[in-house]
Amino acid sequence: MSIIEIKNVFKTYNETSVPVHALNGINLKIGKGEFTAIVGPSGSGKTTLLNIIGGLDLPSKGDVFIEDVNLKNLSSRQLIDFRLHNIGFVFQAYNLIPVLTALENTEFIMELQQVPKKEREQKAIRLLETVGIGDKKDHKPGQLSGGQQQRVAVARALASQPKYIIADEPTANLDSKATEELLDLMRNMNKQYHTTFIFATHDQRVMDRARRIVTIDDGKIISDEQTEK
Amino acid sequence: MKSLVKIAWRSLWRNRRRTILTAAAVVLALVLALFMRSMQFGSYDQMIQAGVNQVGYLQVHDTGYWENQSIDRAFFYNKNIGEAIKKIPEIQMAIPKLETFSLASYGKQTKGVLISGINPVLQNKKTHLGKKIVKGSYLSNKQNEVLVGDNLARYLHISIGDSLVLLGQGYRGITSYGIYTVKGIFHLPSTEINSQVVYMNLTAAQYFVYPYQKGLLTGISLYLKDPLKLQEVKQQLSVSLGKHYEIISWKKVLTDILQSIKVDNISGQVMLLILYIIAAFGIFSTTLMMTMEKRKQYAIMISIGMQRSRLVWVSILETIIITITGILAGLIIVTPILFYLHANPIPLTGEMSKVYEQFNIEPILPFAVKAHIFISQTLIIFVLSTLSTLYPIIYLSRFNILKAFRH
Ligand SMILES: Nc1ncnc2c1ncn2[C@@H]1O[C@H](COP(=O)(O)OP(=O)(O)OP(=O)(O)O)[C@@H](O)[C@H]1O
Ligand SMILES: [Mg+2]
Repeated sequence: MSIIEIKNVFKTYNETSVPVHALNGINLKIGKGEFTAIVGPSGSGKTTLLNIIGGLDLPSKGDVFIEDVNLKNLSSRQLIDFRLHNIGFVFQAYNLIPVLTALENTEFIMELQQVPKKEREQKAIRLLETVGIGDKKDHKPGQLSGGQQQRVAVARALASQPKYIIADEPTANLDSKATEELLDLMRNMNKQYHTTFIFATHDQRVMDRARRIVTIDDGKIISDEQTEK
Repeated sequence: MKSLVKIAWRSLWRNRRRTILTAAAVVLALVLALFMRSMQFGSYDQMIQAGVNQVGYLQVHDTGYWENQSIDRAFFYNKNIGEAIKKIPEIQMAIPKLETFSLASYGKQTKGVLISGINPVLQNKKTHLGKKIVKGSYLSNKQNEVLVGDNLARYLHISIGDSLVLLGQGYRGITSYGIYTVKGIFHLPSTEINSQVVYMNLTAAQYFVYPYQKGLLTGISLYLKDPLKLQEVKQQLSVSLGKHYEIISWKKVLTDILQSIKVDNISGQVMLLILYIIAAFGIFSTTLMMTMEKRKQYAIMISIGMQRSRLVWVSILETIIITITGILAGLIIVTPILFYLHANPIPLTGEMSKVYEQFNIEPILPFAVKAHIFISQTLIIFVLSTLSTLYPIIYLSRFNILKAFRH
């Protein structure tokens, strides 16, 4: 059973001036518990596709279904609420609110979801321990390394109990050790809790860890393979 | 939501220097505005006080006199009036007056003048007319003495000891006539008075206007212990005096002073407006910077599921915290200073002090401390800086989060 279904999606930027056809007829289904990499050369449309899957942007043409919901039928307020309750995000950088501690950052999303204080605090502490930041929970992002910050971002994404997590080049700013650690973490979460991850990357090491690799070029899917690991 | 307050508060601490600078702009604007207003209102009070010293807080006339200031609207003083006035303890002093127009001539020169019959002692207490004598001396209680203004003396070529002939229409159509000795020549700040007015003893003026009955007056000026009781006293008097007498407050008498205060006040407000614009610009540019600088962070917050309307609160809270801090600091700084200056006004020296004395104004720079000044300035500054959050509100409610990521 797929949780995401992308039907004949086109995305054109600058439709009125100099049109850029970023996506040209994408069809894609992603099932629960997948650990999928979207790869392709720079400018191929990876970020565009992830933004559409993540409900941050809408297609120019075509439909995006998350389970039964067609995203284009949501108002912009509804879309924000939809993201809050269904989608987790790990960005390449600037993920965290700089004035909040790791713990507060993780709690913040649950506060938006109106989880009671006690419950969210316990859960945030547990998640930070899971991602290996337990001892640094009271540090602000500025006091954490890039890898540690990304792990807090993963903890935050998990805290909202999303249907899936999208991550656009989450390791782009990390060295190889931190990259390994983050991938291990995501993969473990994926295995243990069947959390669905979809990430975009150029990084060969990241691709190697993926269980499914969707390659796009020029806004079209040119290959889609399962890797058995 | 508590986190929003936390985020706003900590963001301000994180950018401590900028926060302090912005708050300092608020402080400066408020301090300057309060200083200006306090000084302005202080000087208005002073001008009004000087004017009131001349004319009294209240004037009692025969009904209709104020509209048509003719000697035929004069009235005879009687015991009832005296008792009605005495009955009110708030009245500190009552100065009776008789004023009438007449011709004055000396040698070949003739000019229309205003004869002002005064009680020399009482008048001197309130207006210090005695100090304004530039030649000769002040009125004694002799009935044939007059004081003339320096301009009038020059026009008539008259000097101390000369005889001035006065000829005019008296009360009830009689012809009045008299010869008086110039006792002194005065100089007051008003050229109009200097070239028009002849002062003499009240009893002499009464005799000049109507020798058949004593006690004719055109008005009684009343001075109050507490100016705030003005309406009360006016009310009480009009009840006890009845409809034959009109009671007029200084506001009606000193319309020209009030008019010039109004004009001055407008120029003061223009200055304030400039100050406000500068302050608002300072606050606005900070909020603008704070917003633009954090747009990536804001974009993340919206991405993960925070409604824009909530995000706006972070921005509003930041500005409000800065503003309130600035306002409190400003008030703490300026209030004691203004109260001190109110109690101990800055004395003026040199030329300035002479000008002030001429105008019968104490040579000091007074500061008014009135609640309305504090309230209005604080409110204006608060509203101004609250308005400066308008831009972040508009920006945050529509900015494109994906664009914010790309920049
Ligand atoms: N906001 C935009 N306005 C105009 N063109 C855009 C915009 N965003 C992306 N594009 C263009 O759309 C195409 C796809 O861009 P996208 O960012 O999705 O590529 P990508 O695969 O993520 O590249 P990279 O690996 O460099 O991140 C590119 O040609 C890009 O220049
Ligand atoms: Mg990209």
